Amino acid sequence: MKKILIIEDDIFLQGLEAGKLQKSGYTIMSARNGAEGMQKILEPGIDLILLDLILPDYDGFEILKKIRATEATKNIPVLVFSNLSEEADVKKAKSLGSTDFMVKSNFTLDELADHIKSLIK
Amino acid sequence: MDDIEKLKTENKKLTDIIAAKSDVISIGAHQLRTSLTALKWILKMFSDNDLGTLTDEQRTYIDQALTSNERMITLVSSMLAFNHTDGVTAAPKLQDVDIEQLTSDVAGGFHGETLKKNITLTTTKPAFPVSHITADPEMIRVVLECLVENAIKYSETSGKVTVTIEEKNGMIEVSVHNNGIVIGQKDKDHIFQKFFRAETVKDAQIPGSGLGLFIAQSIVQQHKGTLSFTSSTDAGTTFCVSLPVA
Repeated sequence: MKKILIIEDDIFLQGLEAGKLQKSGYTIMSARNGAEGMQKILEPGIDLILLDLILPDYDGFEILKKIRATEATKNIPVLVFSNLSEEADVKKAKSLGSTDFMVKSNFTLDELADHIKSLIK
Repeated sequence: MDDIEKLKTENKKLTDIIAAKSDVISIGAHQLRTSLTALKWILKMFSDNDLGTLTDEQRTYIDQALTSNERMITLVSSMLAFNHTDGVTAAPKLQDVDIEQLTSDVAGGFHGETLKKNITLTTTKPAFPVSHITADPEMIRVVLECLVENAIKYSETSGKVTVTIEEKNGMIEVSVHNNGIVIGQKDKDHIFQKFFRAETVKDAQIPGSGLGLFIAQSIVQQHKGTLSFTSSTDAGTTFCVSLPVA
């Protein structure tokens, strides 16, 4: 079973995302803030990271930098999933090595699951 | 000199106030989107019978709530676009712009939306590289995003959206075409009015704020260009933005 790490500080949204992705057949780990996220990205066997950008401590860009700078994690697909949508944010995420960028409010959970399936076949 | 210094100080204060208001709008929009996202996902779960089978009456209300929620999400996006253009009254920050590259970037940003409706989005490049334009790239981006977003939104599922770039008589023309919902004859004179939405899209219950084309036209006019369209059942709908070559 593929494993997804969800880094999302909104507990309600995190629960909805985890519930949907578990039903879609994934094993889910989650982190509620940047510090927890920074630790959990180092756990073995992660197939995709679902990364929010606005977190209470670190921002998602810093976590993305660390993911790409660390030998063990640099090749893990990272799907940035945020309600930021400014061109500058999308470009910054891309320049830091995000695999893709989805604006949460523009997609249903089914569409999220379909997109993740296309990223980690 | 005192008067000039006073003007500079007042100008700085106004610039700071505008920047602060812009930040409030951006932060507010993000918070609104978080709540609207949660509502969207839950309503969709109800609509998909994930939380139990709905009665017909319940389904009617849930579907109306979903449509209303989508309308709010669209309005928040329009607010952000409006905020980004400084309310379309600020002067464009002009620089050399490669319109082919900008158009390609904009089209690439809609990949997710095209997948949702199985739309084929094609950008037809000209045979020879076109001249650059002198423009505010972020403002022109707003215009192109509006046209492509509308073309996708008003297309049928599995439809086609085509973006074409041409250089003609000292102008660069970017055309966006789709074969979806047509603009009715009685609505054509009003299509660029603030908050106007054509009857055909309201009947199809497609959410929108009515601000996109108003903002787009304002930006194009600031750049001494034109925004025009044709729409018919036979030929589909094409919006064309025409901007002077640098």
